[in-house]
Amino acid sequence: MKKIKFEEALKELEAIADKLETGELDLEESIKLYEEGIDLSVYCQKQLAQAEGKIQRLIKKLDGDIQVVDMD
Amino acid sequence: MKGFISVSELNEYISGLLAADEFLSDFWMKGEISGFSFYRQSGHMYFTLKDQESAVSCVMFKSRNKGLKFEPEDGLEVLVRVYVSVYPKQGKYQVYVQEMQPYGKGGLFLQLEQLKNKLEAKGYFAPENKKKIPEMVNCIGIVTSQDGAALKDILRVIKQRHSSCQVILVHSSVQGDAAPAELAEGLKLINTHGQAEVIIIGRGGGSFEDLMAFNTEIVVKAIFESKIPVISAVGHEIDFSLADMAADLRAATPTQAASMAVPDISRLRMEVVKYQQRINRVMERRIGHYSETLDRLMLKRIWKEPHILVNEKERKVAEQQERMNRCVVGFIQGSQHRCSLAMEALDKLSPLKVLKRGYAVVYKDGKILRQIKQVEIGEYLKIKFNDGNLGVQIMDKEMFLNEKN
Repeated sequence: MKKIKFEEALKELEAIADKLETGELDLEESIKLYEEGIDLSVYCQKQLAQAEGKIQRLIKKLDGDIQVVDMD
Repeated sequence: MKGFISVSELNEYISGLLAADEFLSDFWMKGEISGFSFYRQSGHMYFTLKDQESAVSCVMFKSRNKGLKFEPEDGLEVLVRVYVSVYPKQGKYQVYVQEMQPYGKGGLFLQLEQLKNKLEAKGYFAPENKKKIPEMVNCIGIVTSQDGAALKDILRVIKQRHSSCQVILVHSSVQGDAAPAELAEGLKLINTHGQAEVIIIGRGGGSFEDLMAFNTEIVVKAIFESKIPVISAVGHEIDFSLADMAADLRAATPTQAASMAVPDISRLRMEVVKYQQRINRVMERRIGHYSETLDRLMLKRIWKEPHILVNEKERKVAEQQERMNRCVVGFIQGSQHRCSLAMEALDKLSPLKVLKRGYAVVYKDGKILRQIKQVEIGEYLKIKFNDGNLGVQIMDKEMFLNEKN
């Protein structure tokens, strides 16, 4: 699956749910959409679980480089 | 001694007196500006400072007014740092302004208002330049004092809502002379680092003067130029700070800024699950509907007793055969009837029957004789009766008159 933003994924997921609920699709189309929806929801959940929870400090050194220091 | 002096000498003398006076050579004075004029050509400013009773002429040379943070105008109360001297051409003394600042809060507001107008004209506050705060943020940048209550508040809220969110802090003083440059630098640093998805810049509440760093052009510019969306969180006692106006989103407090910046992860989780359930429900209903239709179709007798299809056909064939048979029999019967009628009619016409009634047939040379003109006297004929034949010889011949011709 291509990399998209969480918001986009969530929006797409909503659109798929809406589309499925209209019931205007034939069975094959709706199964295809359903699979896409499941992929998206898994992707969203992965995004939600991804972060590390670190607290870091950025310091600019004299030579202009950025130093990253872990806090806590 | 000439007994008199020139005008120039007088002015020079007084000038000297004034210059020698330690107090008059450098002091602060308060007054209200009137008759302000700015000479574009020379760059000098001329105006009068007055209070309720008095007025004094002032001049502020170009070299001195270049760095003014506000634009002087009539009616404005200002504090000026001055020395006093004589303007020899008119023989009047005037004050030479070295520094000038708006007096009191009114003055600061004015300065702010003017800076605001300037930055507004540059488009720093334009709504169309505002960036959207992403809904899902996993890395947040913070520019504030590492020792302030603001940071503690922000970190606490982040932990509550999204405990796995990464935090990137750049420490900066938030008041004092160094604050503006440090705040601006902090924003740039986080942008250069590039990982944060949103930045909070701010401090806890303070007096109007404490918050002045957030009203400086350098900070406002850095906020405007940040590629990463910025949320301002400056504790207020005034209506606005310029930092707020330039920020993509304004929070009243650091706590509020944190909840605006970081998603409530459990709410988002629920949202995703909600969509999952929705599409699952739809599909279940869909498939249920299809299989019900299928079941209904399968219930039909045809699938359980397929032979009825054949039976029906067989019945139809038999029916046609029956019809056909009926036709043929009818035809034959009809023919037989017609046949016997014909035979009956034939029977009635049989010559034997006529002979039985007493008639006889005459033959000459084996052919039926129909007229006597065909025979001569003395010829032999044969007469056929019902019960046999007679051979006869003609003795006499008499023709009926009406038969003669």
